[in-house]
Amino acid sequence: MDLAEAFRNYRETIVGKWVDYTLSTYTSSDFFKREKDQFANPIGASVREALDSLFVMMSKGTDPVEFKGPVEKIIKIRAVQEFTPAQAVAPLNAVKHITREVLAADKERAVFVKDLYDFEFNVDLAVLAAFDIYMESRERLYKVRIAEIKSGSHILTDSKCPSKLLNEESQEFLKSV
Amino acid sequence: MSVPKLEQLSKSVAQGPSLATGAVPTQDWMDIPAVFKSGNYAYPAKKDKVEYLNSQKGLYFPNAREWSPEDDDWKLPEDWKNIILNGLKERLDKFRSLKIFMDCCVRCGACADKCHFFLGTGDPKNMPVLRAELLRSVYRNDFTLGGKILGKMAGGREMTVGVLKEWFMYSYQCTECRRCSVFCPYGIDTAEITMMLRELLHLVGVGINWILEPASNSNRTGNHMGLQPHTFKDNVEFLVDDVENLTGVRPNISFNRKGAEILFITPSADVFAEPGLYTAMGYMILFEAIGLDYTWSTYASEGGNFGLFTNNETMKKLNAKMYAEAERLGVKYIIGGECGHMWRVLHQYMDTMNGPADFLEVPVSPITGTKFQNAASTKMVHITEFTADLIKHGKLKLDKSRNSHVKATFHDSCNTSRAMGLLDEPRYVLDHVVDNWVEMPENTIREQTFCCGSGTGLNTDEIMELRMRSGYPRANAVQYVRDKFDVNTLACVCAIDRATLTSLNNYWTPEVTVCGLTELVGNAIVQENEGENRAVLDEGLRTMV
Ligand code: SF4
Ligand code: SF4
Repeated sequence: MDLAEAFRNYRETIVGKWVDYTLSTYTSSDFFKREKDQFANPIGASVREALDSLFVMMSKGTDPVEFKGPVEKIIKIRAVQEFTPAQAVAPLNAVKHITREVLAADKERAVFVKDLYDFEFNVDLAVLAAFDIYMESRERLYKVRIAEIKSGSHILTDSKCPSKLLNEESQEFLKSV
Repeated sequence: MSVPKLEQLSKSVAQGPSLATGAVPTQDWMDIPAVFKSGNYAYPAKKDKVEYLNSQKGLYFPNAREWSPEDDDWKLPEDWKNIILNGLKERLDKFRSLKIFMDCCVRCGACADKCHFFLGTGDPKNMPVLRAELLRSVYRNDFTLGGKILGKMAGGREMTVGVLKEWFMYSYQCTECRRCSVFCPYGIDTAEITMMLRELLHLVGVGINWILEPASNSNRTGNHMGLQPHTFKDNVEFLVDDVENLTGVRPNISFNRKGAEILFITPSADVFAEPGLYTAMGYMILFEAIGLDYTWSTYASEGGNFGLFTNNETMKKLNAKMYAEAERLGVKYIIGGECGHMWRVLHQYMDTMNGPADFLEVPVSPITGTKFQNAASTKMVHITEFTADLIKHGKLKLDKSRNSHVKATFHDSCNTSRAMGLLDEPRYVLDHVVDNWVEMPENTIREQTFCCGSGTGLNTDEIMELRMRSGYPRANAVQYVRDKFDVNTLACVCAIDRATLTSLNNYWTPEVTVCGLTELVGNAIVQENEGENRAVLDEGLRTMV
């Protein structure tokens, strides 16, 4: 028996707790935890799918570049919800604690706790990636706002006539963004 | 090595009342106050817009002032509480549906998880049943015997400034999409409760600018944009030039022409903002192909009706303008373009407010002879019904290969699907104009369609985050068909959708563009006289030539 096997055996338990913890950051999370249909429950299902594949990658030692996919799936959502940046990425870190706790509770596997260094280092890398993705998502959000302004729908307000678009101030603003 | 305990992790990142405390809420929902901060509320209406609206005949928008939702003091009128309670009483007497909706909810919860705002936020007050409870609790307290005696024990609560602020927060986190009502065994329509909440708030001067400014523009110049007649005309004429440059055929158009057979009305966004422009070109190409005797109007230059998002009187007034213009021009009937809430108003409210439009004729297609019985009273036909009928009778020459750059899916707009049942016509049209299109998953289309997240006047940029999270259920389904079938185009029949889904996709699925259905029709139409002047249009009407 080795750590890899312990990861395989406990994948479902660990990921289950991790998903639970992550979804508990929403005020009313019962439904997010319960419903399995990915279209009826998009956030619950996305979090479940992403954390599961991230766990497999981190425990197998997959190239950390690959973490981006699942981390993005979660952080892109959390970046537009009412979380501070730290709150948005914090749940990723929780898997360290959960894994230690789960392994420690199993007498036969408790010895592996001391071997978790590589795994935990991967978690750190995932958290670092999450910060980048959080920022990328916020920047994207602002670009979406600007694109909307440029598309002309903002003249719904603040203007009497589209010629407003041609005035110097508006033109300069549009050039500057 | 010390590992932070999970609880510590939660605590260390979450201070104060926050969604990320990681804990099950220990407080009753009634006791959690609404907190306004930049990004979670739309800007309040400007003083001069409210003053203008209030000065108009038949409209009532009192208490114009400068104020901010972030301030403690919202500068409400002194007797605001009486105004609200009397307003509620008046509406309970006037609208039977409201009274029934207040009384008959059994709190079964079937609606709770069906709202895209709840699905995108996890905030319990975005469950439709709780949204309605915001009003129902006050109703119980002041208008039912149980509530009067037992108060909170019977689920009642007093109307306070805190409650009013909560109303403002959550009636503007509902797009009145009616998805919840599809699942309610009693047919309770939470959208109508939201409408009542917004009406009551207007009585004390609480409203948002993105709705009241377009509404006042519409009242003044006839359209949301505030375009004056000559500008509107210029814009449409630009599009005529564009169509000619692209297709080699110059569409005939006219404005305010008395005696035309048909008046055509569409959202003004179609003639001014991308990507609606391409849809407007599509209309012109279509009408040119069949030689329709129709006119545009520079007065009824707006199909949209932001009155629907404010109060009954404004909705009625803006809707009436279209009919006044139809009567003035002496047309037989109206064809309406791709719009959402224009059709909601038409199908659900027009007949009671301003109908029946007996001075017009029951619409008959001059090309196929089909009588549109469904429009017998309102005398207004949807462009997609009209087009589907033309195709069915083989009256259009279509070349699907002209849309070979498109792999489409179709988004049902809340209003056209749930408020008027326009489900099969757009699909029939798509079948005939593109080679390739796929449906999104079953529980995200047709009657169960997910809102774009920005309807009912919430399509303003200061709440972009809110729009992105409430639009996630829609975006998630788009993502799925993009990944599975390489979909690159999201077609729809609503002007607000075209703008808001563009932003939504921009964030979630930038590879997928948004277009109006009639744009695809315009791409595919083969004009009889197009000859050699037609450019090579690899991207249809969007091709740069
Ligand atoms: S589904 Fe209808 S009856 Fe059930 S809780 Fe919702 S509104 Fe009430
Ligand atoms: S009408 Fe739509 S937005 Fe409003 S509560 Fe129902 S599902 Fe939510």
